[in-house]
Amino acid sequence: MRGIAGRAGRRFVSSLPALFGVLVFTFLLMRVLPGDPAIFFASGPNAGQAEIEDIRRRMGLDKPVPEQLLLYLKDIGTGNLGRSMTTGQPVLNDLRNRLPASLELTFCALLIALVLAVPLGILAALRPGSVVDHAVRLLCTLGVCVPTFVSGLLLIYVLYYLLGIAPDPTGRIDIFASQPPEVTGFLLVDAAIAGDWEAWWAAASQLVLPACTMALFVLAPLARMTRASMLAVLTSDFIRTGEALGLSRRRVILVYALRNALLPVITIMGIVFSTMLGANVLVEKVFSWPGVASYALDALLSSDYAPVQGFVLLMASIFVLVNLVVDLLYGLADPRVSIG
Amino acid sequence: MRIGRREILAGAAAMAVPGGPALAQSRAETLRQVTGNTVNTLDPTMPGSTREAFGISVNVYDRLVGFGRKQQGAGWVFDPDTIKGELAERVETRADGTTFTFHLRRDAKFHDGTPVTAEDVKWSFDRHVTARSLAAVQIQTGSWTKAEQFRVIDQHTFEAKVERPDRLALPNLCTLYCMIINSKVAKSHATADDPWAQAWLKDNAAGSGAYRVESFKPGEQVILRRNDDWKGGPLPFFRRIINQTIPEAATRANLIERGDADLSIDLQASDVPALAQRPRVKVVSTPQFNAFTMVAFNTRMAPFDNVKLRQAVAAALPYQDIFKAALFERGAALFGGDWRETPPTARFPQPMPMKTDLARARALMAEAGFPNGLDTTFSFNVGSAATSEPMAALVKESLARIGIRVEIQKLPDAQISTLVTEKKLPFLTETSIAWLPSTDYFFRNFFTGEQRWNYSSWNNAEITDLTAKARFERDPAEYEKLCKRMIAVLAEEVPLILLWQPNQDAVMTQAIDGYTYQYHRQVDYRDLRRA
Repeated sequence: MRGIAGRAGRRFVSSLPALFGVLVFTFLLMRVLPGDPAIFFASGPNAGQAEIEDIRRRMGLDKPVPEQLLLYLKDIGTGNLGRSMTTGQPVLNDLRNRLPASLELTFCALLIALVLAVPLGILAALRPGSVVDHAVRLLCTLGVCVPTFVSGLLLIYVLYYLLGIAPDPTGRIDIFASQPPEVTGFLLVDAAIAGDWEAWWAAASQLVLPACTMALFVLAPLARMTRASMLAVLTSDFIRTGEALGLSRRRVILVYALRNALLPVITIMGIVFSTMLGANVLVEKVFSWPGVASYALDALLSSDYAPVQGFVLLMASIFVLVNLVVDLLYGLADPRVSIG
Repeated sequence: MRIGRREILAGAAAMAVPGGPALAQSRAETLRQVTGNTVNTLDPTMPGSTREAFGISVNVYDRLVGFGRKQQGAGWVFDPDTIKGELAERVETRADGTTFTFHLRRDAKFHDGTPVTAEDVKWSFDRHVTARSLAAVQIQTGSWTKAEQFRVIDQHTFEAKVERPDRLALPNLCTLYCMIINSKVAKSHATADDPWAQAWLKDNAAGSGAYRVESFKPGEQVILRRNDDWKGGPLPFFRRIINQTIPEAATRANLIERGDADLSIDLQASDVPALAQRPRVKVVSTPQFNAFTMVAFNTRMAPFDNVKLRQAVAAALPYQDIFKAALFERGAALFGGDWRETPPTARFPQPMPMKTDLARARALMAEAGFPNGLDTTFSFNVGSAATSEPMAALVKESLARIGIRVEIQKLPDAQISTLVTEKKLPFLTETSIAWLPSTDYFFRNFFTGEQRWNYSSWNNAEITDLTAKARFERDPAEYEKLCKRMIAVLAEEVPLILLWQPNQDAVMTQAIDGYTYQYHRQVDYRDLRRA
């Protein structure tokens, strides 16, 4: 265990320069974007130069850029990510309120995707070129080809508008239902803690459509990767030996083959997870999901610097964290691998 | 499955409100409005506050006075010429028009139960003119600039004074920025850096309005509960209001069609005709008579500093085609007016005498000194692409016929506002709105000065002079004469071309009644009831 902790610690320290680079880069990028936030936020019939200057001063934009950067780094050091002009709230609060929504959605989507993709990938690998293989390929291609907002709107149209099976696609919990007391911010967990199974059901049924929409989109990389690495493993010597020794087919495939085939799947899973978290903005918009991605997009459109910078920092940190977890999972899946 | 879920939720809701009325009853008394944008603050005077935030504040705070409403066509619209009391039960205006005495309702209470006094009114107005906020810039258009203009006479009487009889002094006090704040509560949250409690009032309300804030999640939803002690008028019908942010317009339309939501005022114009055919849906379309969509020229920059060239463009545009293609004619046209030299009324905006006449346009191009034509760009913001994109295509096509080669430029909102403020765009389209639809106000804000709203950067000595006079003109006949002259100059000089006033399409379920188009273009929940 100490080995793992030490390894994790080393990995974390070595990722600090990357995080710092991301910070500075985003900061500079936001400043070279055309569009002056002070002007955008100064409205009203007579908003003249004085009002614009005032907002600029309030946002700290009147100082030279290097000084702004130093002040920004100092703020980050003290845990202050600034204030969003669009929501009027401190960015840290906004992100803290919204991150659980995004995480809950992404976790569920990833779970659905894995539960579907791994068996499909194995099935396809067992009979390459068969009808099953082609069916899986078709499903994956469809999932990747159809943009998430199209599949999302389609699901809403059929399941909510035409059939009336799904609840209205508006946020995390039915607006007329009572919300469980907040503990973790994950509604499913909070409702379970409170023992409020009606709220749990309300939140879960609200979650199904967006999670499926996202799962559909990431089905392809996971299923294809499982298939490819299973194919490679299934032709290797130790599988032939196992079969020759008369081990059951189930044991050969699920224990020996799958475990060896999982490494690339875990790698791709880490990437898929990070991508989903940042790229699910369309799903969040379509389902009115109060997540971090749609928050960052709104801020970007109005040149609101602080939330965008906060969002990028958050995403970079999550990426580092996910990579760390993936590395640790490698060790579990294949003890021969040790990443220093 | 659907029925099961509803029943479960009914159970949950009943548990959440112990002893509350049956769910069916409370749903009927709840209004659910879905909107594409977000409510970002409870203090509408905060720089950057959204239009949706304005709508909430109208219902949560009272003002001293407000605008009445009148029937127009099939629906209701606000009436800028009728001023009714809100917290003030009556207003006395001195004969010279400089002093207003407000007699406050004696039974009016803030949400915390304390009475509304003239002290609170004074504190609120001091805040509106002193604090750095949107209020100060708005109400200075009614000559309200200093705290000394406001005076407490006694606990229930309040006096406000302007130096000269500004026509817009009283109308400005009707606007939502002039909300009356509970000064005791606000002061207890003020700090040395923030004497006007601006940080606290962003997330908290301290008003006396018809609704109190039950929960406020910026970017997600606001829930309001009726204030049963409200004395400012007849008690509103709805006990509970849910204002929910649903970014996707198609989803909002679905919710209304299925009856899960009651009202939306920001659906896509192209969806509205189809929705109006559905049996469960009702559409109230009102031309936004205090707004206008225009094509503006930069009158301080070559080539459009040339009057002849502007007139040539005005004669070349295919108005009716643009109106059809971009807006599906869902609005009131502001072109094709049948007058020359003197307009028929002093109202503004009104149809201007612009007509498509290519022969005249070509002649004007030659007179302007551009026999070989010219190159320019036409800009619009991404947010308005649904109407601006077809418009831009037609502008490009029609101007090519008189030798103007147009490049279309689509810009993000923040970027276009920067470029407009810096006066760098030669040629653009925008839609703008004035809260106080009086002619001199329009001209002052849109056709004089250096602010962003002067889209064409127009600087005309006669107009500046006329607006300065009209502002303080108390004789209606004289005022009318001044306004007609301003409109005539505008038609002659064409710093910008008026196109139309788009409709506001309020889409609601059949049972909702009483919707009123307001100056702030949001929903005043006090107007509404379920039939």
